[in-house]
Formats: sequence, structure tokens, C-alpha cells
Amino acid sequence: MKELNTKRFRIGVDIGGTFTDGTLVDSSTGQVITSKVLTTPADPASGFISAVNKLLGVSNDVDPSEIEHVVHATTVATNAIIEGKTAKTAFVTTQGFRDMLEIARQIRPSLYDLQFEKPAPLVPRQLCFEIRERLDAKGNVVTPLDEKALAIVVDQLAETEVEAIAICLLHSYRNPDHEQKVGEAIKAKIPDVKLSLSSKIVPEFREYLRASTTVINSAVTPIVSTYLASILEKLHSADVNSELLVMQSNGGVYPAQSASESPVFMVESGPAAGAVAAASLGSALGYPNVISFDMGGTTAKASLIRNGQPNITKDYSVGGAAQSGDGAFGGASGYPIRTPVVDLVEIGAGGGSIAWVDSGGALRVGPQSAGADPGPVSYGLGGKEPTITDANLILGRLDPSYFADGQISLDTEAAKNAIHKHCAEPLGLSIEAAAHGIIEIANTAMVNALRLVSVQRGHDPRDFMLMGFGGAGPAHVVRLAEQAGIPQVLIPAEPGTASALGLLVTDVRMESSATLIIRADQVELSRITYEFEKLENSGRLAHSAAASASGEPIFERAIEMRYWGQSFELSVPVPDRKTIDNDWMNDLIEAFHESHDSAYGFRADDEPVELVNLRLTTVGKIARPQLRKLDTIDHDIQVAIKGERPVYFATDSSQGGVISTTVYNRQKLPPRSTFNGPAIVEEPDCTTVIQPSWSVTVDDFGNLIVENNQ
Amino acid sequence: MAGDKVRNKIDPIHFEVIRSALTQVTEEMAAALRRSAYSTNVKTRQDFSCAFFDRDCKPISQAFTQPVHLGSFVELIPTSVEAYGAENLQPGDMLVVNNPFGGGSHLNDVTVFGPVHHQNELIGYVASLAHHVDVGGGAPASIGPFQEIFQEGVIITPVKLVKQGEMNEDIFKLLLAQIRSKRVTAGDFRAQVAANTVGSRRLSEIVRKYGSEDFDRYVKAVIDYTDRRTRAEISDIPDGIYKSESFLDFDGFTENPVTLKTKITVDGEKVYFDFDGCDPQRRAPVNSTKAMTFSACAYALRALMAPDLPVNDGFYRHVRMNAKPGTVVHALHPAPVVGGWETQVRVNDMLFRAFAPGMPQKIASSTKAMMAQAGFGIIDQKTGEYHCNYEALAGGYGARETSDGPDAVQQHGQNTENAPVEEVESHFPVRVSQLSLIEDSEGPGKFRGGLGMRRDYHFPNDAATFTVLSDRDLEGPKGIFGGMSGRKAYYILNPDDSKRTKTELSSKCVIELKPGDTVSFQTPGGGGYGSPLERDPERVLEDVTLGKINFKRARECYGVIIDNLTNDVDKAATKRLREQINKSRSSH
Repeated sequence: MKELNTKRFRIGVDIGGTFTDGTLVDSSTGQVITSKVLTTPADPASGFISAVNKLLGVSNDVDPSEIEHVVHATTVATNAIIEGKTAKTAFVTTQGFRDMLEIARQIRPSLYDLQFEKPAPLVPRQLCFEIRERLDAKGNVVTPLDEKALAIVVDQLAETEVEAIAICLLHSYRNPDHEQKVGEAIKAKIPDVKLSLSSKIVPEFREYLRASTTVINSAVTPIVSTYLASILEKLHSADVNSELLVMQSNGGVYPAQSASESPVFMVESGPAAGAVAAASLGSALGYPNVISFDMGGTTAKASLIRNGQPNITKDYSVGGAAQSGDGAFGGASGYPIRTPVVDLVEIGAGGGSIAWVDSGGALRVGPQSAGADPGPVSYGLGGKEPTITDANLILGRLDPSYFADGQISLDTEAAKNAIHKHCAEPLGLSIEAAAHGIIEIANTAMVNALRLVSVQRGHDPRDFMLMGFGGAGPAHVVRLAEQAGIPQVLIPAEPGTASALGLLVTDVRMESSATLIIRADQVELSRITYEFEKLENSGRLAHSAAASASGEPIFERAIEMRYWGQSFELSVPVPDRKTIDNDWMNDLIEAFHESHDSAYGFRADDEPVELVNLRLTTVGKIARPQLRKLDTIDHDIQVAIKGERPVYFATDSSQGGVISTTVYNRQKLPPRSTFNGPAIVEEPDCTTVIQPSWSVTVDDFGNLIVENNQ
Repeated sequence: MAGDKVRNKIDPIHFEVIRSALTQVTEEMAAALRRSAYSTNVKTRQDFSCAFFDRDCKPISQAFTQPVHLGSFVELIPTSVEAYGAENLQPGDMLVVNNPFGGGSHLNDVTVFGPVHHQNELIGYVASLAHHVDVGGGAPASIGPFQEIFQEGVIITPVKLVKQGEMNEDIFKLLLAQIRSKRVTAGDFRAQVAANTVGSRRLSEIVRKYGSEDFDRYVKAVIDYTDRRTRAEISDIPDGIYKSESFLDFDGFTENPVTLKTKITVDGEKVYFDFDGCDPQRRAPVNSTKAMTFSACAYALRALMAPDLPVNDGFYRHVRMNAKPGTVVHALHPAPVVGGWETQVRVNDMLFRAFAPGMPQKIASSTKAMMAQAGFGIIDQKTGEYHCNYEALAGGYGARETSDGPDAVQQHGQNTENAPVEEVESHFPVRVSQLSLIEDSEGPGKFRGGLGMRRDYHFPNDAATFTVLSDRDLEGPKGIFGGMSGRKAYYILNPDDSKRTKTELSSKCVIELKPGDTVSFQTPGGGGYGSPLERDPERVLEDVTLGKINFKRARECYGVIIDNLTNDVDKAATKRLREQINKSRSSH
């Protein structure tokens, strides 16, 4: 049993496209301090350390030695792939399969486009090598590893001067022996090269997906390990010697050392933080089932949280066109990975998304975005095309003189002119009606995103609390709830930086898996026990290496199952009993049938069931910071009222149109106060729009609970 | 509020909401089908399609999977509903059909579809089509050279597979009795039913929300919108008459290549595809049904248009064609049709070549333009179970005006994935001993065609029946505007085994393999675009560096000299050589 951590402070740093957000939590009081600095794309580590220094400077009483750990979310891996700046990497595979990466899945990313391109492999063909060896599907050796040929390939590899090498031999998920021997031979000759073995990264069948995952890991390892080393160095020079943890794509954190070796697990580090923040806050407040909705300047992200856990997927591609669930060819424009990623749908609808009229006379919004430069028309920074922010402004939802804490003054006339020219006139609508249309169309896409993560996965959105945050989220989320039929919405305190807080409320999670591929009626139960024990032993080892994980490791066991003959597995949590016996197996199989019925609408009780992968997640609990209650405020809610202004609302009832609406100052709202929509709630970096027929309750922690009265 | 003006007004916002919801329905159907299916061909290779039709059987929305299927649906659903009688369909019923002469394609493509109701009122139909790995007939995987439809498998005229939500076990048993791979096929049928159930459920939700009157109004608005845009797009195609001809190398039985001809007339907002001059249908498996040929025309036209144009009745109504009954592009009973897709995809290639002079920037040079189908069957000696595998392989894509044709990729209406080697080997006692690009197989050009692909199937311990249904064994895909042809296809028994005789197989055959035999399936490279002598020498160098072409080919086909030592283009020598080749060509 490890000692419990007693240090007081934790730091989270989230590097986004424009800003780097820092958060410091005092575990003893729950007090949160935030910092914001500009992101420094050329050297992200310098923005990182400025954010940390700012945090330490603001609260002079923080002794760096009292910092328990620093958690970091970064897009450094994804950016390297998108920008084509990955390390020089070689690929080693079984004889006959050198072109595995070139051929990929042999499909086109778009059906009717004759000018399409296949994504260029991350490893050029001359750096792909073959080794004479072969296993069969059971892992038996068909052709022994040719040691002489291996020695020649190793010499050739040494001449290429690559920084990293990915090894993926056929059927290595069954038997890693050949891959390990190849790895050892390379290590002996080229000790400094970064090696990634497919049998270690993702020991699962389907060679291209495994190879693609391994190659991505390999190609970003040098960049990520250098980057994390430089962050550690900068932390040390600021006297912060505590452990550095990194947010993984699955919402857990892992030590920087593991991240340096297996960076493919953190490619979606950034977006995962928001989902984790929503999950954690939801659980703490007694809402284990949440749909999180995080909307920023260019995109909106939705994800589903059940029983306090974000949904996790392994059908994912990086570096391609926008991901939208598992549409047939969703990933063919990018590079697939088979590591667990928080199942989120990201769409091109943010405050900066541009509205336009297409050649058939339909009003469209996005996916083009004005971003921060030139930004919406109303910013007056050179933007010419109307955006969602401009439409919100015209509809009275934003206060032109109180935007970004009064730092930007918005030009309503310019916004009106742009909407008139680009949308209202071509469609024969009034400016207000066009602005309303822009919002409603963007909302449709967002409602669709909410449906993709809920209904399409077999969950009724009405059973969930919708949580809206991010700079633009609170302006839209209540209307989205209305359209999706979700009765309850939660707007967290400080919604603009809520996702950075996600970094400090997650556990150390380490995934491991073993492939079985055997029918449930043929497996020896002792084998399941044995494999899980093996996974637990390595999990225990990893747990003891993570300084921040306290107490005994907690193991989450699941088995990926399918009907014998299918190819897509459903992950079924194993029955919660120590002994694996026949009853245990029967319960497991029944849980699978049920899960299949709920996902696809049928169960086939007479069909054999197959166990594909055993999955073990080793969880090292990190104590959560306590939620901090608002100070008791004696004053009446009237004190929070800033005034009234006309606001245009769209509703499904007859109460739409322009309504005179009360505007509240969020920072002055007393706990447990209530008020009714229509209402606008303003705070320095965010505006919340409350639809008519919805009412608001401020909870003890300053969150807004918004409910539909109808 | 009851005035007609108000009632008939189309709200642009409702329009967009309903439009995306309709597509979403079919995407959800596709997800359910794919994830619950059993055969590698459906679950991994995605050889299936899903669509929604209105109550008049007009296509409204579809999931983007396989355009070849989607185009043929347009003919199949109305024909089948008429044949069975709309009045005979109850809520919860589903029909199963594959009749090639009743709007279908080859027998493997089996459609399950059913009506969707809202409060007992018919809203429309949801349909899912899957290429079944076996439907009986003369060879495993039901592909091969036959002379009558009856040898190709079970012919299913529309019958009820599902009766008011319950599987019609009598029909299901009779169907499965005709089929080799019973367990897998049964699983795929269940997946099709699941997809339709999901689609039907979601559609009724949408109608419940908007009311059936508004739903109809907006569905019509979506079609009108597509119609307007389609007409505008056709107007953008230069008016004129576009002609081309092509041929299929081998029909499976005779020495006579199959002649294909087209004349396309574009006049303002109208386009008309005429196939006068195509060969009469044959007693050989190369006959395309009317629905299949229609699907080639639809694909060709759609590919010339904006990427975001919806594909529904508003588009399809503009696809007008004349394919004479009794020809290879409109086969009649009892012609064999299993290789009709080979003809269909070659027609597609021909249509792009026809359009080339008018739209050189939109088209691609010739691609593999064959389905490249490989199948095999093995009987498990222990259990007696008959296992079948089917897949279709990628080839080189045609070069474009400003870019090379991608290597080893699917083409035209076909976009099926490859079957992962590890998945195939875990299902069957086969060993895929090689999967690679074929070096030097590209059609040279200013922009080159893509490389072809090689996949070798080795059967270490078992006898197997292997079928090839493909083409291009006489000539590779042609280049365009001075581009050269890609390498032709090869089908070779025991290509590199010193102890066994190497034999070249035909593009349409069924062979019995002995334990230890290997079949090598080698697809063609794509055709080039523009003269190879105009290719940027740096691009030639890049291909040499990547090992995609060799030094000799760089010199002989592209006139580019690469210095062996520095690995750089020898610019002066290249210029001289190119001038010399140009001179000798013009003197000829």
C-alpha cells in the first residue's frame, strides 16, 4: 500500500490554439486560481511555464515543494501529424507486406470525387523493410525468424539515420516473440533509436490498424519525448520538482515517462479534458449521466458520460477530415488508431463559423471559420463574412459593450450589414430572421452531434443532464436542450475555463489488453483467470511507478465480445465476483446479449459468443479537490440585475420573437436563488442565454441548473 | 394561418433540419448493419448500402457506401413493390429480393426492404442491400463463368422474409438451404433486418415530430432543391455530343472481346446516355442488367458535379438513358449476369473518356475498371461446414489533369475495403503470402496512373475451389491526352514455386486447387494523363527513390536520366534525351 499524498497544491495546464490556461487548486480549501497566457506555437513549453509562473506569482503562499503534481493536456502529437512534422521513421514488417501502409484500406475518402488523394503514409516506401518470418493465426511459427536476413536489415536501418522505428509483424498479437527479437537486434546495433512494437502498443488483430497505430506512436515519440523533457526542465528551474502527468485521449492521466514511450495514447489529449471535467463535476453534484457540450471559437464537441465515465471508442482516425461518429468512410482521409479515445463528436460549429448561401439557395453555416483572425465581422478586425457570433449579437444575446470583459467592443451595424448582404438579401428574409436562421441551422448541426453521441449509441438523451461550457457553449446550450428534448441543463461556474479543471479531477489510468479470440463455449475458465492475473501484475508495476497514484490500484475488467462471426465487439464489464466459474460466464454472456440488443435491436440467443480481448484498466486514484461553496451572500437577487434589453428568441412554442429580457450579473447571483427565463446571464468571458419557459436555480457552488417548465 | 400561402411556405430552417435527419437515418442503418454482420465482405469490406424511399418509391436519402448499389436501387424498389403489390405489405413486413430481371443486379446482391408506417399510414420504404458471400450456384462465392442465370445461384423474386416483425422461418430455411456458407449468410440477413428496423424506428420518430403532412412537404422540398441544383450543374457541362467506345477483354467462353459504345448528348439542362452499338447479350457472365447500367450513368454524371449535391430523386430523374433490351448493357432472362459489374464498371470508365474533351479538368484517365473479384470455398473436414470467402481487390487509379492516380485504391462506384490478412487467416485455412504494390505497373504520363496491387493466396494444407471473376487480361487501362497504358492484369497459379508448374489463368475461371497451391491475383496499373516526356523530372526521381519505378523505366518511358551516384536528375542529359525521343516520334 502506497502512502497517501498529503501535499496541498495541484496544477493543470491546457494548451489551446490561442490561449494556454493554467489552473491551481488548493486541495485543503478547494480554492481555484486560474491564469491565461497566449499560446506560443514555436515553443509551446515557454507558454506552459509562463502560465505556471503566473499561477505561482498570483498566490505568493504556494511553496513549490508543496505541489503534488502538474497535469498537462497538449496537442503537440496531433499537430505534428496534421502539419506533417513527424520524425523520420522506419517500418519493419513480415516479408511480403512492405506496402501495408501504402495500400492501407484500399478505399477512397470521398465517393464521387475523382480528384481525391489518399493520405501519404507517415513512413516513405524506401524506409519500409521486410523480414523473413511468419506466424499463423494461432501464433505458431510457420517460417522461423531468419537471423541472417535480420542482421542485414538492421545494418540497412542503421544507415538510414532514422529517429524512430515501428515494428509490426503478422499475428504478433498472438505471439510477440519475433517482434521482440527484431527489437532486441535493432536496439543492440542502434541503441538511441526510439522503438515501438505493435505487440506492445496494441496487441490486437487486423494488421493495418495495428501497424497504423504503431507507426503513429513511433513517428511522434521523438517530438513528444523532447517536448516533455523540456517542460520538466523548465519546471525544475522554477523549483517545481513534482511529478508531471499527461492527459490521455481516454480521459485518464499517465506519467510523463509513459507518455514519452507511448504517445499514441495522448493524441486527443486536449478534447478529452472537457469530457473529463463534465464527468467529474457531474458525479460530484449527483448527476452521473451527462452529455457534455463544449463549444469554442471554431468547433463544438459533444460526448456522452454514463455512470460518471465518458464513453470510450477505438474507431478513430487522426489527421483526417472532421470526425463524425463512425460513418462508413469516416476515417479514410486520416490515419486510424486503435487506442481508446473519449468518444466525442467534433463539428465545425463555433462562434467564428461563417454563414453563407449555396448555389441551390440554401442557408448554410460552417465548416469555414473566421477563427480569431480576422474573426467575426463585429470584432472590426477585418472580418467580412457573417459568423455565429455576429448573429448572436444582432439577436441581442450579446452585449456589444460587455464582451470579453469589455476588452472588445462589438460593432452591431457592421454585423447587420454583413448578414444583410450575404444571407438576408439573397434569401429574401429580414436581417433578424436571417440571423435567427443562422443560429437555428448551427444548432441543428449541434443537436445532430448530441444525437450521434446518444441516440446513435442507443441512449435516450432525455435521461441525461446536458452540461454546456466553453466560451460559446452557454449561449446555445439551453436552446439545444429544448430541441433535443432534454429537460435539464447545467452551466458550471466559470464555464470559459471549465475544461482546464478537468485535468485536476481525473485518475491515473493505464490500459492493457490481451487477445483471446475464442468461443465462450470452448474457453478454459482458468485461462481467463490467468490472463487477467498477468495483466494485473503488470498494472501493479505501472501503478507503483506513478508517484501521484495513491493507495491500492483499482482494476476495471472488461471483455470485448461479439457473436462468433461478427467483427465488431461490444465491451462488456465482467461480473463483479472473484471466482471465474460457470455462473460467472453465464452472467457475462447474458450481459453481452443484453448489450447487443440495446445497441442493434436484436439478440441471437442460439448463436455462439466469442471472447475477443480482455481489457484491464489499472486505476490509481487521485484525491479530488473539494468543490468550493459560494460564500454566503446576504443580498437579494435584485442586486444581480444589470438591466433589460430586447432579445430575439426562437422557441417551439408560441413565445418566440423579440422579448424584453432581464440581464443578470452572474458574479452577484446569490446561492439558492431562482429566476425565470427569458434571461441573459453575463460574466467576464461568457454569456448564458436562458430560453423562455425555462427556469434557473443557482446551486451552492455557483452552477446554474436550468430546467424546462413545460 | 390556414391560408395556402402560409401553409405552403418552406421554412429554410426546417428544411435543413429534416434534410440532415433523413441522411442521418440511413447512416444509422449502415452502422447497425456493419456492426452486427458476420461475413468479412459485409462487416469489414462494407460491401452493402442503405437507403430510404418515399411512398411512391422515389429515392430520398442514402448512406454513402457503395454507389453501384445505390444507383441500382432506383430501379429495384419500385419494380419489386409493383410486383408484390403495395397493398399486400403490412407494418413490420420486409421483402427479400435479388431478381436481376426485376430491377436487380447480380444474384449476390440481395436486398431486404420494408414499408415504414406512422399511425398505420405508409410513409415510405427502408432498404438495405448486401453482397452475400454465397448464394449457391455453380461455384463457391457464386462467382464464375456460367452460361445461364440458373447456374449462378438462388433467384429470389420478392417474398416476405419478415412478417409483421417476425422472421418468416419457412422462407428463411428454404433460402439458406440453397446456400453454402449458411451460418455467415444467416448472420448477414439478420444484420440487414436489424438495419431496417433501426431505420424504420428513426423515421417514424421524425414523422411523429413534424407530422406527416409537413414531412411530405419537406421531402418534396429536398427533392426540388436537388433538382434545381442538378439542372444548374448539367448546364455547366459544355453542350455537345460525346462519344467513346471500349471493350471487355474476355467474356469467359469465347475469343471475342465484348464491344461497348456510347453516345452522350448534352443539351442545356438535359443529358442523355445512348448505348446503341453495344454487343448483343452473351451466353457468358458479362451481361449487365438495366439497373446496373443505369447506376454507371448515374455515377458518371454525379462525379462531374459539386461534392455536396444530395443524391435523391431530384438528381436521378435527370439520368436518362437508352440501353436496348437484349444487349450486354440491358440483359434479358435467362442471361447470366454475375460478371455484369465488370461490364458496368467498364461502361463507367468509357463514359469518363467520352466526357474528357469537354471536361478535361474533371475526369480521370482509365482506372483498373474491373471489379477484380476473387472467391474461394473450403469444406471443413471435421465439421463438414462449407466456408466461402469473397473479396474484390484494388488497382491503380487513373491520372488526373493536375495529380497522379493514387496507387492501389478502389474506383468508380466501388469502394470496398480490403479484408485484413489476419482476419482472413483466422477464419479460413488460407495464407495470404503477399500483399504489395506492383512496381513499374503505372501508366506513364505527365501525371502517372496509380500502381496495381498483388495479393497471393496460398493454401498450405487444404484443397480449395478458387474463382476469378475479373478482366483486363489482354490490355491495361489506357492513358489519355498522350498518357500511356498501365500494366495489364495477371492471374497466375503457382507464380514462384520451383516444384509446381506456373500457369497463367484466365480472368474468368473456376479452378480446383491442391494442398500447397498458390494463386497470385495481380491487378492493373492506372492510365497516365498527358505525355510522360512532360513529367516533372523531380517527380520521376521521387518515384525512383520510393522504388515505385526503376532507373530503366525512368529513362525509357519518361526520358529522365538519374545519376546513379548522386541520386539526382541529370538535367542536361534529360533535356537531350527528351528532345531526341520527341524527334524520333515526330519523324514516325
